[in-house]
Amino acid sequence: MTVSDTELTSLAASHDIISLGMLADDARRRRHGARTTFVRVANVALAGDTAQTPSPLAGEVRIVGTPASRAAAVERVAQVAAAIAGSRGVALSGFSLADLEELSAREGVTLRALLEELRAAGLELVAEAPFDRLHDARRSIEEVNIAGLALARLTIHQLPSPDPLPLLKAVADLQRAVAVIRAFAPLPRTVNPAVPTTGYEDVTRVALARVIVDNVASIQVDWSLYGPKLAQVALTVGADDVDGVSAEDDMTEGRRRAPLEEIRRNIRAANQEPVERNGRFDVVVR
Amino acid sequence: MPNITGLSERVRAGERLSGDEALELYRQAPTALLGRLADAVRARKHPGGIVTYIIDRNVNYTNVCVAKCNFCAFYRPVGSPEGYVLGFDELFRKIDETIAVGGVQLLLQGGHNPDLPLTWYEDLFRAIKARYPAFKLHALSPPEVIHLSRLSQLPVPAVIDRLIAAGLDSIPGGGAEILVDRVRKLLHCYGKATADEWLDVMRHAHRAGLRTTATMMYGTVETDAERLEHLLRLRDLQDERGGFTAFITWSYQPANTELGGSEATGVDYLRTLALARIVLDNFDNLQASWVTQGGKVGQLSLAYGANDMGSVMIEENVVRAAGAAYCMDEVEIVRNIEDAGFAPKRRNMHYEILGDPIFRERDVPRMLELATARADGDTSVPDELMNYPARSRAAKQLRIIPN
Repeated sequence: MTVSDTELTSLAASHDIISLGMLADDARRRRHGARTTFVRVANVALAGDTAQTPSPLAGEVRIVGTPASRAAAVERVAQVAAAIAGSRGVALSGFSLADLEELSAREGVTLRALLEELRAAGLELVAEAPFDRLHDARRSIEEVNIAGLALARLTIHQLPSPDPLPLLKAVADLQRAVAVIRAFAPLPRTVNPAVPTTGYEDVTRVALARVIVDNVASIQVDWSLYGPKLAQVALTVGADDVDGVSAEDDMTEGRRRAPLEEIRRNIRAANQEPVERNGRFDVVVR
Repeated sequence: MPNITGLSERVRAGERLSGDEALELYRQAPTALLGRLADAVRARKHPGGIVTYIIDRNVNYTNVCVAKCNFCAFYRPVGSPEGYVLGFDELFRKIDETIAVGGVQLLLQGGHNPDLPLTWYEDLFRAIKARYPAFKLHALSPPEVIHLSRLSQLPVPAVIDRLIAAGLDSIPGGGAEILVDRVRKLLHCYGKATADEWLDVMRHAHRAGLRTTATMMYGTVETDAERLEHLLRLRDLQDERGGFTAFITWSYQPANTELGGSEATGVDYLRTLALARIVLDNFDNLQASWVTQGGKVGQLSLAYGANDMGSVMIEENVVRAAGAAYCMDEVEIVRNIEDAGFAPKRRNMHYEILGDPIFRERDVPRMLELATARADGDTSVPDELMNYPARSRAAKQLRIIPN
């Protein structure tokens, strides 16, 4: 179903989040049915304990932090890759593409050379490409692909404007150009704590993302960043993939409050079918 | 979904659903449809697009409780070193702070403390009314009234009459949990009030001319049919007396409780709220429970049947003890109401409009977290407690027992 620009403008301005949510949910169900994927992520700090072994339950081991130098980044990737070498099905991701753009400029190497070096050290996925922080989004994402890496997700660092339409249309245009974006997380990673986004804003943004960015397979919501309640509601208005589920099986609050059971319960309570995936979007069978 | 379509049309036409019909709608209808129907009912009852809120303070005067409900993380047993009773002066200071930010009432509830006789409450209410004649006391949930009835060996209507004479303005709907005795026995709250006893207190209060609210805490051990039975019992009493001003539902908060388990999800909250709006066709007002659901789902409640954002609260102890620590001051509540396309208005407990947001009239300090009853480590015992007879051995040892 095609939605005209006029209709989009009207939907974005409307407070009728239920109608917008239904429209997005239809689009999501046409593409994914009732299936909702989630990935369990083990975060590993760039400057962390070199002997740290990531949880074997992770489907994605993600190196987080801003690299101080090219050498430090490559060394950390090699350490973590070695630590998970025996874990089948675990994808190693790391870094913000915007940070890598800056690092390559700072160190006087091409982005492609830096990406190839990281790949050679064992990196498989660039963890995120923050659309609004990239100097040249199209070119940098293409470099990721040419370097033999994949992009785990396109993200939004901070909302550039209250009007979501221009940004979402730009993301759709970007995907038309690069065609390698597998998942898009439309909610901002950084918000002003004094004026956080509201539930209406988040729901509207997720729903519009599903309708407008119809050329990206998955609309993603972050479990740890946005919390179970909002993330679950997002699944009913267009999101089909959940990022950031903890890979630690913490049972201290009982089995039903452990991360795996909690995510499955929330997805089922949203009338959807939970499917665990890894960082490559392969289904994980335990 | 032929039957769902038919039931939906009847809701849209303003017809009442039976219990079986409502249960079928709840079980079968997609969340968006439930929201649509609830929103249609809200819009019919509140066509002006106004969403209200109240500035009041949620104060728990004591955490000592003999009820021992297994879903409660707040109470402390008699004799516990963590038990407290707030003194009159502490309560006056809280009222001063409440008035300073535009507050109009105290929501005053507490544990079933055997060492606080009815006269303590009467003296407290009289003292508050003497100092703050216009300030309202929305106080003592039905189980507390029953506790006082047992403690004083007076019938419930007599207790209510005495409390009204001392200054009680209205009764909050706490302690309802699920008004089904099978559930109440499993939650260890049957002893504090059976379903019939809870409803009888409200009936007596309405007969005495008080307005009250009604609540439901769901997500423990009840079935969806029992959740609905709760709503139907409230609807019946509202048909009979018409004394409820509002309905508030929230999900059980499991952290630090004996019962444990997990919290109902955000979607479950929105579905339950929507069901309540559809079933409780004789209730004018439904509050959003942002204190348990957070600001975002709290705001989304306005699309699922709620027409009121509840209270600014200023202070909260019970839900915080069970793991939820959300905060919204008046600025944030108003921002959320307006962002959802509604006009914010301050109200009182009777849902009479008091005016526009107070922070637009004068400077009001921002509130970034809710206060607690007492600062950590404060174990002081109010002087005036010595004037009242204690029943427990622990309290008798601490007090001068009058002859």
